[in-house]
Amino acid sequence: MGNVMIINASPRAPKSNSKEYAKLFAQYCQLQTEYCEVKKSNHLELCHMMAGFSDVLFVFPLYADSIPVTLLNFLKTLEANLPQTKPTISVMINCGFIEPQQNDTAVAMLQLFCRKNGFPFGSAFKIGSGEAILTTPFRIFLKAKMKKFSTSIQNRKYGTFQVTMPISKRMFIAASSSYWENYGKKHGISKEEMSTMQIE
Amino acid sequence: MKLVLSDRNLDVFQEHHPTFDFIDLSKLQISNCVGCFGCWTKTPGKCVIRDDAVNVYPRIAASDRIMYVSKLQYGGYDTVMKTMLERSIPVQQAFIRLLHGETHHIQRNVVPKEAVIIGYGNTSSEEKQIFRHLVERNAKNMCFERYQVKFVAENEVEQAVRNEVAVWET
Repeated sequence: MGNVMIINASPRAPKSNSKEYAKLFAQYCQLQTEYCEVKKSNHLELCHMMAGFSDVLFVFPLYADSIPVTLLNFLKTLEANLPQTKPTISVMINCGFIEPQQNDTAVAMLQLFCRKNGFPFGSAFKIGSGEAILTTPFRIFLKAKMKKFSTSIQNRKYGTFQVTMPISKRMFIAASSSYWENYGKKHGISKEEMSTMQIE
Repeated sequence: MKLVLSDRNLDVFQEHHPTFDFIDLSKLQISNCVGCFGCWTKTPGKCVIRDDAVNVYPRIAASDRIMYVSKLQYGGYDTVMKTMLERSIPVQQAFIRLLHGETHHIQRNVVPKEAVIIGYGNTSSEEKQIFRHLVERNAKNMCFERYQVKFVAENEVEQAVRNEVAVWET
């Protein structure tokens, strides 16, 4: 039996959607899991822990079309402090856009890191509409795909998975506009104020 | 405005180039984006972290020609440049639009631009390929109308930038 180290590399890990996705993964995965968050001060600790796991799952949001700096900096530390036994690395990436394939570049970057440093690459799960899907009825699609993703890691039959809201792009834009409008309202900011064209 | 955004000092800008705005990011204090969405939902267009980044992203938005000079890492920008690019999201709104059939954020007052991206380091062909894809993605989110990607070794950066500056000055 293997075990999975789940590493949340979101810049806002304690309050992140990535944390919720990690929780769901742990629910569905029948292997033993341990959840960790990347912090500025714990890179070496996480690197040393890795040798005790058969699998590592990085969970993070897409930032400026690629991996967030939080993860980039951790990977640089990991490259300089490679564990003696190398776990298989899988990734679960969420982006706020409806197209899960917008995460492809980030997946390719992790695959490159693995090849360069001798880690086997496992599964990739690309989540579109990742900012909101968990709070909509469409979460059932996410859960179904999450089960498949976790099973792939459990059975070492790795693959690529993706999910998004099954709606048209125009409907997605309308729904996301309402989502963000309500988000602004919570801070007393109107849609018009949020739409300002002014920068600074 | 012509802007050169670099993750290292460039001697070429010790010389007089009055039409260029040069920013050496390695000399600035720029914290990581914390993903708070404050620049979209609390103080739209302004980052809530008031460090040196707030003097940089308005200049990125205002430029019509831009050059990024960055070391590459795993097929992407290395830490210094990537940190700044992540801190540039105040130039976008939270709201989403369709662009070339894909969903992307609406831009605020961002001038459409011509970009040259100079990636340096000991870069494999696989890494170059990933970086080209990344810049293609960035082009949609950073208002690049046209762009070129160039790869050079670390000791060739100065000359590569000089060459581009000469082209832009003609």
